[in-house]
Amino acid sequence: MKKYFALAMVGMLALATETMAATQAVNTATVAATLQISATVQKAVSLTLSTGTTGGISHCAVNAGAGPPDYTMDFGTVDALGINAGNCNKFGPTVPGTDNAIYWSDYTVTPIFTSHTVFAGTTVSAQVTTDFAAPHNIFVVRSSTATSSTTPVGLASFAALSTGSADTISAAGTTSGTALTRFIGVAVTPANGVTVLQGAQSATVTFTLTVQ
Amino acid sequence: MTANLTAMYRQKLGYFRERAHTRSRFALTIFFFLTIALAPRPANGQTFTLSSAPFGIVLTPAGTNYSGSFGTLNALGIGTPAAGVTVIPLSNGALYLTTYRLTVSGLVGSHTAGVTGYVSTNFSHPAALVMESCPSTSACNTSGAFSTFSTNSATPTTVIAPPGIPNFTVTAGLAIFVPDNNGASAFAGTDSAQITLNMTNLTNNKPIGTVTISLNSPSETLQTAVKLTLATAPGGVTVTTAADYSMSFGNVNGLGIGPLAGLTTSSVAGGIIYSTPYLLQPAFTDFSFTTATLQVYASSNFAHPTILQMDDAAASGGPYTAISTSAGSPTQITTSAASRSPLTRYLGLLVSNINGVSAFTGADTAALTFTLTVP
Repeated sequence: MKKYFALAMVGMLALATETMAATQAVNTATVAATLQISATVQKAVSLTLSTGTTGGISHCAVNAGAGPPDYTMDFGTVDALGINAGNCNKFGPTVPGTDNAIYWSDYTVTPIFTSHTVFAGTTVSAQVTTDFAAPHNIFVVRSSTATSSTTPVGLASFAALSTGSADTISAAGTTSGTALTRFIGVAVTPANGVTVLQGAQSATVTFTLTVQ
Repeated sequence: MTANLTAMYRQKLGYFRERAHTRSRFALTIFFFLTIALAPRPANGQTFTLSSAPFGIVLTPAGTNYSGSFGTLNALGIGTPAAGVTVIPLSNGALYLTTYRLTVSGLVGSHTAGVTGYVSTNFSHPAALVMESCPSTSACNTSGAFSTFSTNSATPTTVIAPPGIPNFTVTAGLAIFVPDNNGASAFAGTDSAQITLNMTNLTNNKPIGTVTISLNSPSETLQTAVKLTLATAPGGVTVTTAADYSMSFGNVNGLGIGPLAGLTTSSVAGGIIYSTPYLLQPAFTDFSFTTATLQVYASSNFAHPTILQMDDAAASGGPYTAISTSAGSPTQITTSAASRSPLTRYLGLLVSNINGVSAFTGADTAALTFTLTVP
């Protein structure tokens, strides 16, 4: 009987210092509240273009576009004889009227990717997705070695940027967060005829980052 | 001769005894009538009685005194009040209220009666416990219906206002306001008070009767109270009330792409911090201290602590520091939290931009424990 009484008293004392809920209490100087935080982590990829920084050459500015396009680059007024200076750099034709003139610039492409468990085969590619109109007396060019970051030295340093498939401009092993310098331009052919393009013309190049 | 003297003596003694007895009987008779005449009694059969209301506290009568109790109280209105008591938490304390019945009978004709009252014995700690009254004309179920009960018999509080009531029973309210009270006047313990109610025939302006309510059976017990709530800050992520509170940062990534509404992203070494303001609302009463300490620690960390980390900052722009994961050494938020003063704080979620085998995608959770301590 005494044991039961003692147990009952313990119960009553416990009630005397009651705690109403986790966030509030009486007869005590401390209270604790818990906050549950939840988040879902997702993989992310980012590819940004910016104006080049290569020394010794001029840079055509990479500007933010209206989305689309994401970015724009303007080479200025160009011609097949290399008479116009353009907005940045040019290589005039070796044989005027036979060879092309190339107006070019460097640019920077920065791939970033996070939370990927597999990324060793990551690449960056570029492709002309909207070409200048036929007869293509102006077309987009890139370094003859698409992955090259070496400053071009002449007409031979360039090759046409593919329109039917993507050219790899950063091979497998591309690292996240490392800015890559590449070169891009427009070649103007000496073609003549009723259909040759004149005036303002534009093309679209699509850059693709593939984390794999 | 001696015998005669003895007989005479006894005869006189008996005379004096008889005379004294007669005087005593006379005095008793006078006393009886005086007692009857001076005793408080209904005027012309009019009576004033109190009784418990159906949902009020129990009032136990003993003559013209009625005793009861409001039980245990605190200024934050925490917990379930005593039977018959309703608690209304207020922005500056808590109001514990009850109702009681007043009955008048024996009024003649169109006579009516009114009642006034005052606190005839106030609480010993009037800064901590304040008697309030609600007139019979009110439902007495909101704080606005109550006003401070006069402690001055010369200027009593009206309970049944003119023109009064005929022979009838009405319900009035009685309350104890427990104000926020920290610092020098803080009090926690037991206390009691007494109310005196006077009923008057408002037609002939003659008193009908007086009753008292003693709130001492048992005495009221005032307790200290602490409370800590979290809430959504303007422009911040919603804090919901679930175990005890919860906050979702939604989909996050190491680049800060597409943050949820209310989140701000900032790039830091190793990843992105998603941050949001939130409110910490401490409240404490009847402590001798006027400031308290707020601390936080991650009582349950993320399953992927190298990918996700909870940060704390005093300002939106940071600096953000990792919240401790140790209960023994929590992150200090402030040592000067004032009661009922919301504190805007910033919670950051650092999302790592790491790639590779240790990278993680998917849902994860953590729990932060905020502790309010009044020294």
